[in-house]
Amino acid sequence: MKAKKGKVSVLTGNYTTAYAARLCRPEVIAAYPITPQSEVAEQLSSFVADGSLDAEIVEVEGENSAMNVCRAASLAGARVFTATSSYGLVYMYDTLLETAGFRAPVVMANVNRETPGIHAVSSGQQDMISTRDSGWIQIIVENNQEIIDQIIMSYRLAEDYDIQLPIMVNYDGYYLSYLSEAVEIPEQSDVDAFLAPLKKQPQRPRLIPGASTGCGTHGMEMGYVEARYKHWSALERAKQKVDDIDKEFGEYFGRSYGGQIEEYKTADAEIVILASGSAAGSVKTVIDAKRAEGIKVGLVKQRLFRPYPEERLIQALKGKKAVGVIDRSLCFGWKYGPMCMELKAIAPDIGSMPILSYIDGLANLDITIPHISRVVDEVNAAAKGKAYQDVTWIPME
Amino acid sequence: MVEATKKRNKVFDYFCTDEQFSGGVAWCAGCPLELTARFVPKVLGKNMVFVGTPGCAAPVLHGQNIGAWHKLSYLSCVMTGVASSATGLSRYFRRTGQDATVVCFTGDGCATDIGFQTLSGAAERNEHIIYLAYDNEGYMNTGNQRSSATQKGAATTTTPVGKVGRGKPTASKNMQMVMLMHKPKYMATATLSHLEDFAKKLQKAKEKSKEGFVYLHVFSPCPVGWRIDSNMTIEVCRTAVRTNYFPLWEAEDGQPRFTLEVANPKPVTEFTKLMRKFSHLKEDGLAELQKQVDERYALLKTLVNAGAQK
Repeated sequence: MKAKKGKVSVLTGNYTTAYAARLCRPEVIAAYPITPQSEVAEQLSSFVADGSLDAEIVEVEGENSAMNVCRAASLAGARVFTATSSYGLVYMYDTLLETAGFRAPVVMANVNRETPGIHAVSSGQQDMISTRDSGWIQIIVENNQEIIDQIIMSYRLAEDYDIQLPIMVNYDGYYLSYLSEAVEIPEQSDVDAFLAPLKKQPQRPRLIPGASTGCGTHGMEMGYVEARYKHWSALERAKQKVDDIDKEFGEYFGRSYGGQIEEYKTADAEIVILASGSAAGSVKTVIDAKRAEGIKVGLVKQRLFRPYPEERLIQALKGKKAVGVIDRSLCFGWKYGPMCMELKAIAPDIGSMPILSYIDGLANLDITIPHISRVVDEVNAAAKGKAYQDVTWIPME
Repeated sequence: MVEATKKRNKVFDYFCTDEQFSGGVAWCAGCPLELTARFVPKVLGKNMVFVGTPGCAAPVLHGQNIGAWHKLSYLSCVMTGVASSATGLSRYFRRTGQDATVVCFTGDGCATDIGFQTLSGAAERNEHIIYLAYDNEGYMNTGNQRSSATQKGAATTTTPVGKVGRGKPTASKNMQMVMLMHKPKYMATATLSHLEDFAKKLQKAKEKSKEGFVYLHVFSPCPVGWRIDSNMTIEVCRTAVRTNYFPLWEAEDGQPRFTLEVANPKPVTEFTKLMRKFSHLKEDGLAELQKQVDERYALLKTLVNAGAQK
């Protein structure tokens, strides 16, 4: 069975997100405005106002409350949605941990933005990176079509009986939030059909009034350890599920993203660039140009940030001659960018090769074609045995 | 049987369910919170859902010792998320037609300090929840630190009395008045010494929570932190009412009325002498506390009278 061809509309990333959420029929939505996310909440409210979305909308007084509303409603059995960015994400940090710890399948769009002391209202992945160890599934998408498709896939993953974890779908603020692109919006009936398997699985445990059900029991000693082990195991299981759901989505809707990672011309590549988000599109352009020059280069677009796609990365990078990692955020106190640092952790498994760390694209600075071109040239030189710099802050040169 | 019914305390008439807590729950000796936690569900019924947070109620509500527990449904939150979590529950229960009374059950520290934003937000949005704050005038679970509900001059572990320290330097937040200005569907003050009054207010709270937001402020002296003899708790509650330190009133849609007007209120020293947290206060300190009691009562009375003239 194949889905019908959806209507193509020109939409910004934020409007795409709202359309995606509506298609998944959330029952409770709570959001607080923050640049560059605000239109998501606005558009969802207007859907409710025009009667095209039947959901409870809670106009909360802060992001912390947005996540608490979603977590609690989710624990009572609701399908929920929220969206935030930057300090909004940080402001919900306590309950972000709780939401994951409670195994509440909240789906949230996070519009990536910087979180500095310097007031940078601009793109960057620091918000997502800073919530890395919260126990959420974190996925980064590249373009508006991928936003809509990934949000639909996220409900399949979050509410899967074997997973039951919250998911953060990340897309670049400014670059995608305000960028209009042609987006194919799937038909409602097809999204319903794609999400239908969730109804066939056993009902997840939920809070029922008058039924002696509790959420948030004190977990002392082994009770705590067991809950943590189950949470950890669910994250491990989620990796394969991401691939499976992506495959099923591809077969049904005709669009597929590679699951945990997307590989672009890696099969015969000698060197690989690892990037994520909207910058991955520019990297593909550079790769095509460099291949015309005879450089065998490929791209690994890291889609899944947590859980870490260890096995898929090893598979994609093993035997290559060098890797360059472009990070759009920092790992303070550690000289490499966060994604590079994590790649270094699996270095023994991918084989001995130079791994070059690049910091670029902070605070809305473009990761330009010349920047990426330079990265490819340097990684190529390093692969041939030339001396290289461990870490390069491209804008500082 | 008829005779037995006659002898029964009238407050039993308000009970619509049996005891929801087991014996042996882990509250301090003389703590009014145990009686409150047992009493509230008896009146509200077993479809009430407790939404709680770290505080004096947490060890029992959240089952730190599951050898002695309760039968109610409950959700635990961090202190910043009580009224907002209750919002999520209530919205979904109502949407799906599940009969539930969602009750936030927190101390004054959560209500007046760290959880105040969400409490105020939920009140403004008129969420269909009951927020019950048990006011023991400080962070008692963590060891008697000051909160913004702590009275001026009170000795706590973070406002100690010493060579220089004279207890808390500022007056308590007048939380009841703050909440009244939110114009909730219903709000009331209550305490255990006036149990029938408390029961009536709980019943009304349940009914009114079907229309929107309800706030209950329950005076709850802490025998340990206030240094009260554990057999004197209810007497302290009663004296707080009789001195106008804690007047009993209620308000529908922001219009207050007294549920008990004390004819000849006793001086506040009758109240302060029952505990040792004010024992270092000299005449001027006590006079200042009396002044605050009088002023707050006068303000309340003005608002009550303003409504009566309408």
